[in-house]
Amino acid sequence: MSSIITVSGLHKHFSVPKRRAGLWGTLKALARPEMTVVRAVDGISFTIQPGELVGYLGPNGAGKSTTLKMLTGLLVPSEGEVWVNGQVPWRERERYVASIGAVFGQRTTLWWDLPVVESLELLQHIYDIPAARFRDNLAQFRALLDMDSFLDTPVRSLSLGQRMRADLCAALLHDPVLLFLDEPTIGLDVVAKERIRQFIQHVNSEHGTTVLLTTHDLSDVEKLCNRVMIIDQGRLLFGGGLPHLMERFGGNRELVVDFAEEYPAVDVEGAAVVARDGLRVTYQFARQEITASALIGRLSARYRIQDLAVREPEIEATIRRIYEEKLLESP
Amino acid sequence: MAKHLRLYLRLIGVQLRGQLQYRTAFLMDALATAVLTMVGFGSLAMIFQRFENLGGWSLGEVAFLFGMVEFSFGTMDMLFSGFDPQHFGQQVRRGSLDQLLLRPLPITLQVLGSKFVLRRVGRIVQGALILLLGILASDVGWSVGKLLYLPIVLMSLVSFFGGLFVLGATLTFWTVESVEVTNIFTYGGSEMMSYPMHIYDEWIRRFFTFVIPAIFLNYYPALYFLDKPDPFDLPPSTSFLAPLVGFGTLVLALKVWDVGLRHYQSTGS
Ligand SMILES: Nc1ncnc2c1ncn2[C@@H]1O[C@H](COP(=O)(O)OP(=O)(O)OP(=O)(O)O)[C@@H](O)[C@H]1O
Ligand SMILES: [Mg+2]
Repeated sequence: MSSIITVSGLHKHFSVPKRRAGLWGTLKALARPEMTVVRAVDGISFTIQPGELVGYLGPNGAGKSTTLKMLTGLLVPSEGEVWVNGQVPWRERERYVASIGAVFGQRTTLWWDLPVVESLELLQHIYDIPAARFRDNLAQFRALLDMDSFLDTPVRSLSLGQRMRADLCAALLHDPVLLFLDEPTIGLDVVAKERIRQFIQHVNSEHGTTVLLTTHDLSDVEKLCNRVMIIDQGRLLFGGGLPHLMERFGGNRELVVDFAEEYPAVDVEGAAVVARDGLRVTYQFARQEITASALIGRLSARYRIQDLAVREPEIEATIRRIYEEKLLESP
Repeated sequence: MAKHLRLYLRLIGVQLRGQLQYRTAFLMDALATAVLTMVGFGSLAMIFQRFENLGGWSLGEVAFLFGMVEFSFGTMDMLFSGFDPQHFGQQVRRGSLDQLLLRPLPITLQVLGSKFVLRRVGRIVQGALILLLGILASDVGWSVGKLLYLPIVLMSLVSFFGGLFVLGATLTFWTVESVEVTNIFTYGGSEMMSYPMHIYDEWIRRFFTFVIPAIFLNYYPALYFLDKPDPFDLPPSTSFLAPLVGFGTLVLALKVWDVGLRHYQSTGS
């Protein structure tokens, strides 16, 4: 077995007291609380191989963070097994967390009042990182993340993007074999997002670090992940490569044509007209039925064409469709 | 172990640096704490103007007790600030505890190192002064035994109060509403411990004997130091239970704390 992460039959159920209205309700709830069970993670199994960069997707409340918390040992599952790098995360916590890096969304691991560089030095001592190793890693990461301008700034004064970079650096100084990221690009501008993506990519390809990340930004997924897992309501709906996902659920491609002159009818077999605006006509066609070039051939045989463009279905729209139309209803 | 101690000192160092950045605020705070203690003691002195003594204890003798408790509670409040239930409850709700769980260090050490309120020095110094005053005013017949036992009693008191803080912090894993109640026991308790226990009603004394065994940490040791007779006729060795009760409370509290942590890791709140 070569998987670095093995998750089988993972469950996490939370009991939340039911809220009741009014003073009487509050008193009753205190005396005999009625509990509702939230099945945040409801039977998930998967494996991840060393060196993979996997995106963990799902709508709000799907159970992504809860899963990550179990994988990092913060939470103990209600049921099921987790093996990460040969260890059970929540047993021997100290030994385990020394081998992983984790950044949870908007929360910082750094010391509020300390300049970034001193926070990092403190981590050197906490993780017992040999001095030479620390120096090398810091030099490398500060260049890649362009951290020079804010290394001496106290963490509390950092911008969101700077803080995220500092946190990423902090999570990797001890050369973890695994990196868990919960929404690493949340709230950042396009440039900052791009830099962070490049960094994650670098760490994955150069250091061989296995990465599992959650995100709501599908550009992250598109640019980074060789594999995605989609969950909803605590269940795994899809696991596989992005091309595979698009093939199955990507829906139709579109061909936008600007005709050279007005035609009364612009029908063509194999495609349907979905929009018509003067000389511009938009067709939709299924990739299983006809290729783009065949369609263009048919059209140009009949009409004079000025310009055209093929539009691929967007990942974003596709995934939204999967959530909304419940295309991946679990059995 | 040595590594942990070094890291603890480093973490505390971070806290100190942060606080010393705001020197004026620090001085004002320390001053305020000191003034508050003084006011507390001043009102006590006023009572003495009227009544001469408090249940047979002179002002100096009460000062001895008062100083002991103030000094220890201040020291504890400085060292165990990370466990201050109010503060800790907030940390849990904010999810800061998760950040501690992600680091390869014992949680207890990290919580201790997560806050260190230097300005409690005001209360500590004040407590020490009152204790000294008490010693001077109530001619303690010093012996080697007493000299050795005084620091032990002070450390026991610190552990005891620390244990109460740890228990209070643990409760916040279940309910943050508990903080107010916990404060009654810690702050209120320490206040009541500053006075000789025999002036209270019997039920209060019982409470401080059987529920929160504070009487073994302040009153009985004080009887020994001040050579006062025990109005309740317990064996004289009762005065020496302080370390057992003090350190025992802390050890027990840390066990309960572990249970709380496990609860946290299963509920995430
Ligand atoms: N500690 C907790 N106690 C009770 N319920 C919880 C707890 N943590 C999470 N939940 C519930 O579990 C479900 C899954 O939450 P989770 O945070 O894992 O979702 P998510 O996929 O990360 O969502 P988002 O995209 O919004 O971050 C939600 O219904 C949430 O309310
Ligand atoms: Mg989340």
